[in-house]
Amino acid sequence: MDRFTDEELKTRVHDGYVVESVEEMSEGYRKALVVQLTVQADTELISAPAYWRAARHAPSTNTQVSAHAIIQDELAHANIAYRLLEDLGVSKESLVYERAPNEFKHPYGFDQPLDDWAELVVANGFFDRAGITLLGDVHRNTSYGPLKRALVKVDMEETFHLRHGEVWMRRLANAGGEARQMLQRAVDWMFPMTLEWFGLPDELKRHSGQLDFKLKGLTNDELRQVWMDSTVPLCESLGLEVPAHWSDESESYELDYPFPCHYDADRKHWDFDAGEISWDQVFQRWKGRGPMNEWYVESIRASRSRVSAWLDAPPAIPADA
Amino acid sequence: MKDRVFDVFARKERGEPLSHIGYVDAVDAELAKVYAWRTYDEQNWFEMCIVPRTEILPVNRDDGPFASGGGGPGQAE
Repeated sequence: MDRFTDEELKTRVHDGYVVESVEEMSEGYRKALVVQLTVQADTELISAPAYWRAARHAPSTNTQVSAHAIIQDELAHANIAYRLLEDLGVSKESLVYERAPNEFKHPYGFDQPLDDWAELVVANGFFDRAGITLLGDVHRNTSYGPLKRALVKVDMEETFHLRHGEVWMRRLANAGGEARQMLQRAVDWMFPMTLEWFGLPDELKRHSGQLDFKLKGLTNDELRQVWMDSTVPLCESLGLEVPAHWSDESESYELDYPFPCHYDADRKHWDFDAGEISWDQVFQRWKGRGPMNEWYVESIRASRSRVSAWLDAPPAIPADA
Repeated sequence: MKDRVFDVFARKERGEPLSHIGYVDAVDAELAKVYAWRTYDEQNWFEMCIVPRTEILPVNRDDGPFASGGGGPGQAE
């Protein structure tokens, strides 16, 4: 028998109650938290091979170091989130090593190949900004004490990733010519990709419990606006075109394209002209996962079974024994 | 060999209290030290130490990860 019902706990957390252990959770709270942490852990984990594959394009040894420092951070963040799941009775081992690649819960954006230096730094500028937007909100609002404390480190380091991304976006933009074109091409597919990442608009949002249990504070649409609040002015200051603008009338950012819309992963192209599609079609695409899904997941665990087999093998007995 | 949970404590500067900053899973204490130092590298810590979770004895609470003896991954249920 749980200590609190779902309804009791919802009221308590909104009155400031901080949950510290699994014994204090209702079943609904625990389930919502497990989903949230799994998405968080998987996203941090899969960002590592995505960035690692792209780090080959780093233009100097210094940039190699910062690109790999970011990858190290992401793996540590993943490990921290999986460790939190362990204390909820979920096995890190089975989450990382026993799921099919398409069962991971990271966003579709992290199933795409990052094919040049511009795409890596825009990923740092856009995707890591989305990470800070989402996790910063969790940090400020979560009712789960252990997660709030763990996010101190995560927020601090994600800010560095973002700075890396933005500084390099500025360098490429200022260089002009080929560098600027490469940057604009990356922005063209990654800007709508990040907006889609925030999920269903509020008017269609099914009841998730994450807000009711105070596992986060802002709605999807609010988070999308927070992301654009930083990203759109950044891009405008660099002379980069993005399909969104500030509207004085609605006092918010508005999109200049049908949302959501069709994405051609092979060409990295959003088909604005084909018009709006349904969110069911988006979920279908997400469920099918993106082109790098298997490669990324397998690159994390490829050596696991081989090395484990060596370690767990019975000690060799000398022939003359 | 099975992983065990090690809780990580650290302080930033002289005179500051030692705080619980996180946890790692490792097969032994030597690896746990390496994992802790590499995982929690967001500060230039003045002092860091680790404690096997099974060695932490709760005094006044009968719930939470320390009370349940969660010395290994996935044992918290």
